[in-house]
Amino acid sequence: MNTLAWLRFAAANTLRNRRRSAVTVGIAALGTAAILLAGGFALYTYQSLAEAAARSSGHLIVARPAQFNQDEDVPLQHGLDDVAALRSRLLADGQVRQVLPRVDFSGLVSNGDKSTVMVAAGIDPDAEFAIKGPFLKVSAGRVLVSGQRLQVMLGEGLARSLKATPGSGLTLLASTTEGALNALDVTVSGIFSTGVPDLDRRLVYTDVHTAQQLLVTQRVSSLGVFLDRMDATPAAQARVAKAEAPLQVQTWVDQAVFYRSVKDLYNRIFGALGLIIAVIVVVVVTNAMAMAVIERTREIGTLRALGTLPGQLVRSFALEGVLLGGAGTALGAALALAVSAALLVFPVQMPPPPGRSDSYPLQIAIDGSLYGITVLSMVLLAGIASASVARRTVATPVVDALAHT
Amino acid sequence: MARHDEVLRLDGVHKTYHLGAHVVPALQGVDLALRRGEMLALTGPSGSGKSTLLNIAGLIDRADTGCVRLRGHDVGTLSESQATLLRRDAIGFVFQGFNLVPVMTVWDNVDYALFIAGMPVPERRQRVQALLQAVGLDAHAAHRPDALSGGQRQRVAIARALVKRPALVIADEPTANLDSRTADQVLDLMREQGHAHGAAFLIATHDDRLLGRCDRVLRLLDGVIQTERQPFRAAQP
Repeated sequence: MNTLAWLRFAAANTLRNRRRSAVTVGIAALGTAAILLAGGFALYTYQSLAEAAARSSGHLIVARPAQFNQDEDVPLQHGLDDVAALRSRLLADGQVRQVLPRVDFSGLVSNGDKSTVMVAAGIDPDAEFAIKGPFLKVSAGRVLVSGQRLQVMLGEGLARSLKATPGSGLTLLASTTEGALNALDVTVSGIFSTGVPDLDRRLVYTDVHTAQQLLVTQRVSSLGVFLDRMDATPAAQARVAKAEAPLQVQTWVDQAVFYRSVKDLYNRIFGALGLIIAVIVVVVVTNAMAMAVIERTREIGTLRALGTLPGQLVRSFALEGVLLGGAGTALGAALALAVSAALLVFPVQMPPPPGRSDSYPLQIAIDGSLYGITVLSMVLLAGIASASVARRTVATPVVDALAHT
Repeated sequence: MARHDEVLRLDGVHKTYHLGAHVVPALQGVDLALRRGEMLALTGPSGSGKSTLLNIAGLIDRADTGCVRLRGHDVGTLSESQATLLRRDAIGFVFQGFNLVPVMTVWDNVDYALFIAGMPVPERRQRVQALLQAVGLDAHAAHRPDALSGGQRQRVAIARALVKRPALVIADEPTANLDSRTADQVLDLMREQGHAHGAAFLIATHDDRLLGRCDRVLRLLDGVIQTERQPFRAAQP
């Protein structure tokens, strides 16, 4: 049977009641655009958070298993020894772009008059800030420089609390790996914001050597491994874990609690939203097709009398639904593309999310899979809805259908 | 009547409708035979059972009891799909209200019967072209039915019924909506095409002009064949 001819017949039928078809196509278009824009926003958010998380911790985090699973009695109790050799081995992997040591510790920071709790990280400054890129905003002074010891960067909230500015002198106090108390005088080189005020009230960056000097150790807490591509993470994890056993290798996802929470929340919100919109579109298409089928009951009887099989008529009505749904989703996809592109040309800033201090640009990811799956699903749903509506009437006895007024 | 010439045969056909508590006997033991090329008119008052008889003969309804044979085959045992396919291949319909598909052109309306039968395009094109010429509508092939007069629409309906060269044509009041000149044209057309391809016609009508031009006229009353008003004339196959 000539599919093109059935398609032509279905297309002609969709134009019988142009206003009704236009409304159906319009609602399908708006619904599709809403799903694609909401989904694109969620995807962009996931991508941004994923990139931020990976840049913060590294795509892979290599440490001793106890570092991930147990609390420490003293700083760096579960830290890594002989980091230089391990780092060289990791850098030999073709997909590894950088390997950064990290010394995590906590203690007190004092300006002489006031002491407050700090959460500190000893880092390799040049490489760390090069990797972090736009994800760390320096609001005063400058970033740490490798080779310059006894320098710190403070989070905005902490600097405000200690009335510290670039050049201020502070004292860091922490327990050493032996459990003794140690102190170091340092100078503030810069003040930064992570965008999370709670973090900025406690966070201190210093270089690895200063941190090790304060803690009296040569160990580091973990090594952050930065890859050339996000999607290389799972394969690299397996490779490194095998090569460096018994060390444990976690991915950025394992450490990114905020990313996982947001993704879980957005998936539920946008999933429910998408479902509601899909139901609305299906109801609209079903309603339009139900009216069309009722209006054409007599014609259905005629076509059945002429020898058209019920399946052929059901397929014809399904094609009408597919055409209406297809036109609507194509229009919706075009609308979503236009809005997404317009947001790149005319940026719109969103207010800071809860718990954050910085606004962020509203951007919509244009994802081929999202578009493909959405358009296909909507078209398929429209076809199925139309077929199910037509099925009953097509099965009506021919005599009854012909007598329909 | 030679059995091998028989297109349609009804033996003792009964049909009763149950409308709530009411039982309405529509056909009460109808016997009927129709041979190749024959034009048989059914007449009778409203509610006499003409439409029911047409529906049963056209395989769009089933008899309660009795036997219906089309080209010698008992159709009572056919499934719905088998009956549909038999209608597609062997029966043409001409409805009182034309029942053309409004979104199809004249050509497509006529072609539809061949299209659903899966006939190759060149043969379809040839047959449709020939029949549209025969009914004088080849110039209107690209028109939609709403651009045609009543007579033209009925000619399209007749072309649609005849294009597949059916064994049987069921026609319900084919001249009811036509002026006398157009009705004559339509009747001539049916007669010509019927003779050309040997189709038998079963026609329900009140139109005296039509009754006068049929081979036989059966009068139905309360579901029973009362009289046969005209003498049988052998049709030319």
